[in-house]
Amino acid sequence: MSVDSPDKIIDRSAKLVFSFFLSSAGLWLLTAALFAYLAAAKLTDPFFLSTCEFLTYGKIKVAQANAFVYGWGGNAIFAVSIWILARLAQAEVRGSIFLVFAGIIWNLAITFGLLGILDGHMSGHEMLEMPTEVWPAMLISYLIITFLILVIHRSRQIKETIAPQWFILAAILWFPALFLIAWNGMELNPARGTLQTVLSMWYGQSLIWLWLTPVALGAAYYLIPAILGRTIDKYYLAIFGFWCIAALAPWSVVHHLEGGPVPMWIPAIGTVMSIAMVFPIAVASTNFHATAFLDIGKVWNSLPLRFVIFGTLSYTVSSYIGVIFSLPAVAKITQFTIINEFHFNQRVYGFFSMIIFGAVYYALPKISGREIPIAAKSFHFWTSTFGVLLLLLAYLIGGLTHGVLAGQPLLPWSSSVINSLQPYFLITKFAFVILAFSQLVFVVNVWRVIFPNPFACLLCKNEEVEA
Amino acid sequence: MNNLAKFTIGIFATLGVAWLAFVVGARSQYGDLEPTAQSLEEDGSIPADSELFPIALSGIAQQGSEEYAALGCVACHTQQVRRVETGFDVDRGWGKRPSVARDYVLQEHVLLGNSRIGPDLANLGLRNYSDEWLHQHLFEPQSIIPSSLCPPSPFLYDEIEEAADSDIVVNSDAGERFIRPSIRANRLVAYLQALKQDYELPEMSFIETEDVEADLDDTAEQTVVASNDAAPQWLQDQINAGKEVYMKAAVGGGMCFTCHQQNGEGLAGQFPPLAGSDWVLGDKSRLIKISMYGLMGEIEVNGVKYNNVMAPPGIPPGSLTDEQIANVLTYIRNDWGNSASAVSPDEVATVRASLKGRPPMQMFTNSELSPTEQ
Repeated sequence: MSVDSPDKIIDRSAKLVFSFFLSSAGLWLLTAALFAYLAAAKLTDPFFLSTCEFLTYGKIKVAQANAFVYGWGGNAIFAVSIWILARLAQAEVRGSIFLVFAGIIWNLAITFGLLGILDGHMSGHEMLEMPTEVWPAMLISYLIITFLILVIHRSRQIKETIAPQWFILAAILWFPALFLIAWNGMELNPARGTLQTVLSMWYGQSLIWLWLTPVALGAAYYLIPAILGRTIDKYYLAIFGFWCIAALAPWSVVHHLEGGPVPMWIPAIGTVMSIAMVFPIAVASTNFHATAFLDIGKVWNSLPLRFVIFGTLSYTVSSYIGVIFSLPAVAKITQFTIINEFHFNQRVYGFFSMIIFGAVYYALPKISGREIPIAAKSFHFWTSTFGVLLLLLAYLIGGLTHGVLAGQPLLPWSSSVINSLQPYFLITKFAFVILAFSQLVFVVNVWRVIFPNPFACLLCKNEEVEA
Repeated sequence: MNNLAKFTIGIFATLGVAWLAFVVGARSQYGDLEPTAQSLEEDGSIPADSELFPIALSGIAQQGSEEYAALGCVACHTQQVRRVETGFDVDRGWGKRPSVARDYVLQEHVLLGNSRIGPDLANLGLRNYSDEWLHQHLFEPQSIIPSSLCPPSPFLYDEIEEAADSDIVVNSDAGERFIRPSIRANRLVAYLQALKQDYELPEMSFIETEDVEADLDDTAEQTVVASNDAAPQWLQDQINAGKEVYMKAAVGGGMCFTCHQQNGEGLAGQFPPLAGSDWVLGDKSRLIKISMYGLMGEIEVNGVKYNNVMAPPGIPPGSLTDEQIANVLTYIRNDWGNSASAVSPDEVATVRASLKGRPPMQMFTNSELSPTEQ
């Protein structure tokens, strides 16, 4: 251990921060899994926990989305972004203590936010349901983290930047901008009438397209070449893909308002821009898959890469399906159905989370020096894959059934239309149980690597200092 | 790309353009919408003394909207009637016209929603549910609509052992229960009843729903005429009006033909026939009750057993008026070879009065009906 490679030094500098964010992300993942199960169980049996006011279906559903996006998504983004940017910048992570401090505030804010939702203080606006009291804490802690991430990036050794850096930095910077816009339009200078809905729809969907998505894409752009040991095929397209997403995604997300009480140009632009999104989707999938399929055996044998490629395939498929569903003729059937759940889970689970899992499995052994048992990783991969596919198929077919039946005015609503969805609700409940097990295995293993001996934690730290 | 400042400006510029359109642009386009009259003068001014719409929610309804938001009802219920070319909402009877931006300008919480596991509620207040029905539904939806997935909210009610007259009765699986609404339940019901877009606006008038009338086949037409050759004019009028209700599958119709078929033969094993049916030709009050509330469970028609659910007829369900019920029953008793006495609106009104207090939409079962069998 006398002469360490620069990567080792960087990994060691990132250890505290990475471990902190990852272990919090894991807890949020389990929280979200629990809420997801409760919500699914309530749809199959409306009397389940119905006497408990804190756990109405509407509250749980919202708490799940918030725990997933801000809790798991936010913490995972911090962990993965800091490590990848530090590696690419060849710069050490500095200010770890401030990062952890800000992370604690972030997590506390979300905890109180979720408690607020369960206690009946939610607003009913997509992804902005947490009580406004916690918004300042979220923004400030996020800004501290952003600042320190920028410090890492600014101290880079190589001036040239590459695709993973663009995507991750853009995501890190877009979030506070979106958040401030939403805050202004909802609270500080509130809009009247359906302007609120336009804004919250735009914010909620942009959060997924401009925050979760670019981080996952950036991680894929980093991991695929790093693990395969070859350059991205047709890399010159990546810059085009990046600016296409930057320019089109914020426009495309409003197509969900089709037919609603808003000016017609808003969903119309959304639809046009959704169709234009085929370009960046094609670029990303060409880059990823052309590279991966050059050496598919290696992809299969490397578990982190298997996760990543599952995620990128899922991104490609789900995005094209999203384009199809934004066409007015199709949206007429699928709008307001459980297809919405398909989109959300496909994007945050099938795509974002799978790539994050891959990144964690790649980074964690390097950072901690300890391996996760291969059997656990493999179990996690197969149960996740099976659970996600089952979930998405149920929501997809169920959503189409929902839409087609709802479109027949003669069918009574609950006894025919909604009752025919019962089998799909049952399948999703089953899928959420599988996913919960899968996530439990992931989190337990991550925690065991981070805290190999939880009772001797203090001792560990002392040893590190000495080393 | 290598200069962080330029990069930041670039990515904020792309975001900023969309922000300019959807936030700043949309706000300047319709951020200052105000209530207006149902129709304007030719010069675009609001006629003097005209009532302005939308009207603001009452205080208690306003509080109810907060309960609605806090409980998360928006997770399953939308509050928007889509334009006719983009959705079926008007056909389903969820509104007289598509919703427009102006409908929402006075609401503090705009809860359009984007998921419909439950029906749209933009016009719930127009569906003639009593407060009592809504309370029963909030307390235990399944006591009224057995197939409902809506979670019960018993925490909004006090359950009473010794019931007073003013208490609400819920017929749950566990037997009769008496409940007393809390102030929160009353707020919520006030809000739900206030949800209505029952006015026209200069930018949107009511939609004439097209009658999705089934093509009458010629033979059916002829039988009516032939078998009622000697019928007096009033009876013929009533039969014709009843046939319209039977065949109409749009708001205000009965859409009976979808199950019992145009030829009144029903579908073997699923929907009982009306032609030659001992039920149709038998006790009138039983027919009237079924026409108001629907029927569920096992029944026997002409010696054949059926077990199915007949939702309260009409669009929306249970909405048929006394006159419509009288007409449609007269029709089914006098077509397809049937010939029995006409049913008058007064007879329907009498039965309706005798059922006062029965929750709307609560379907009858065979056992409830049999004591009155002829």
